[in-house]
Amino acid sequence: MDLQQIKTFIDAMASSDLAEMEVSRDGWTLRLVRRAVAGAPPAPVRAAGLQKAATGGTLPAPAPEVAARNNDVRAPLYGVVHLQPSPGEPPFVVAGASVKAGQTLCVIEAMKVFNEVRAERDGTVESLLVKSGQEVEAGQALLRFA
Amino acid sequence: MTVMAAPFDSVLIANRGEIALRIQRACRGLGLRTIAVHSDADCDAIYVRQADQALCIGPAAPGRSYLNQAAILFAAEVSGAQAIHPGYGFLSENAGFADRVAAAGLTFIGPSAECIRTMGDKVAAKRAMRAAGVPCVPGPDSSLPDDAAAVRALAREIGYPVIVKAAGGGGGRGMRVVQGESELLDALSLTREEARRAFGNPEVYIEKFLLHPRHVEIQVLADSHGNAVWLGSRDCSLQRRHQKVLEEAPAPGIDSALIATVGERCAQACRQIGYCGVGTFEFLYENGAFYFIEMNTRLQVEHPVTEMTAGIDIVQQQLRVARGERLAVEQSDIACRGHALECRINAENPDTFAPSPGLIGDWVMPGGFGVRVDTHAGAGYRVPPYYDSMIAKLIVHGTTRDDALVRMRAALDEMRIGGIATNLPLHRQIVRDPEFAGGGVDIHHLERWLARRAPA
Repeated sequence: MDLQQIKTFIDAMASSDLAEMEVSRDGWTLRLVRRAVAGAPPAPVRAAGLQKAATGGTLPAPAPEVAARNNDVRAPLYGVVHLQPSPGEPPFVVAGASVKAGQTLCVIEAMKVFNEVRAERDGTVESLLVKSGQEVEAGQALLRFA
Repeated sequence: MTVMAAPFDSVLIANRGEIALRIQRACRGLGLRTIAVHSDADCDAIYVRQADQALCIGPAAPGRSYLNQAAILFAAEVSGAQAIHPGYGFLSENAGFADRVAAAGLTFIGPSAECIRTMGDKVAAKRAMRAAGVPCVPGPDSSLPDDAAAVRALAREIGYPVIVKAAGGGGGRGMRVVQGESELLDALSLTREEARRAFGNPEVYIEKFLLHPRHVEIQVLADSHGNAVWLGSRDCSLQRRHQKVLEEAPAPGIDSALIATVGERCAQACRQIGYCGVGTFEFLYENGAFYFIEMNTRLQVEHPVTEMTAGIDIVQQQLRVARGERLAVEQSDIACRGHALECRINAENPDTFAPSPGLIGDWVMPGGFGVRVDTHAGAGYRVPPYYDSMIAKLIVHGTTRDDALVRMRAALDEMRIGGIATNLPLHRQIVRDPEFAGGGVDIHHLERWLARRAPA
């Protein structure tokens, strides 16, 4: 199973309403799980268990990183992020906004070229992780879907 | 207004990147003190570290640093700089800035604000050039009237296709090609509206649209005592979206007597308008004839190819004439020796042209006889995302064009830049393209070639 095939399965799942999908082929097993969209996602058992062991169970467990990673929209390239079309205009999206697949979430400016970052699926914006005008690295999380 | 040339001994360099370093080197060669001004994003640049004095003038965004006139003038005041070199881009062709520099009692290293203003208005520039006997593109040297019938008559007289251009445009911006009369009035109102918004000037004019021209330009050098010379021709026909990619000197395959005639007209135009400094007359060249399109009243990116063939340090000469010195050379001293090529190395994907800022890893530069690299970058340099994507210029010189081509191929093969994408692979292909190697391709050649190129 190569990356292209995995991507194909992810795309297929993203465009459906499936919650879980498991594929086995050539000795490989790929399991894709969609987290709950609204409210706090149920923490994966293993991640929560580790958290508990590390903190002695006295602190509230933060959102598991595994879940957060799946819901983050990342910068496709190094550049300057803009959260609004131009200064003085309303932002592309705000926390709590529901967005459609293909909608512009933000723009990354690199060398006078403006690269639109679009939503790959429908969803709700949980939080923005960067400030407008900030430099972002390629792969840096820009915003998080609920 | 005459140019106030003064023998300054310190220069504030109001620019960044390779040209800031190029100017710094020229200043050092003349024993001038250099003051680097830079944005937050450029504080570690090599020319900042090597300057006699360095001042941060604002945040990374160009509008708040390299275009911030008040900050630059204040930096000049506190550093005691006596002259300001604007480089290219940014404030280099801003007449208002040239005025403010002069008003502050400093020398603006460039022509007078009046000359910048005349040449910045493409209609006024065309009129001035016609008056000086420089050949222009067929079409009136006045902006278009409002009367639709009069416009139609003008276009018919020129002959279709025609091109509608904004007087405030230039560099490929604010223009529209019209194939026939039915499209004329719509194109006119669209261009007018765009020009009003983009340049704050709705004036438009109309010219004959040439189908397969080459871009050929003449480098000039003038002092403040009424002397002017031309230093040779350059061919910059290899362009993508009006951006030059590879340049050469001299323009290949053009009768040198014809170039000399046009060059002398350009030098004469400089004397006539009281031009002081370096400048470039840009022409379209088609079917053996030159047609003036615009003048750049500043140092150009591609000046090194002329330096290599003329054997003259253009930036040092620019500083000398700004200090009020007389030209040390006469036209008869200037010759074109051999052939030079320049590849603009950009931090961009060679296939998609997507910009690629970021940290440079590997950095292997070519060298040897006839090879020159002008760059401010190096291993460990982080190409900032705020500015132009050009990170280096690779220039070679050879006894003939073929000799220079062989040298360029070898130099490009030697050159390696890692960590970011660059257009090096594109250049390696271009210099092996048989049509380009033959010389004299038109301004659409590169785009045609890119369209034909098999997808990677």
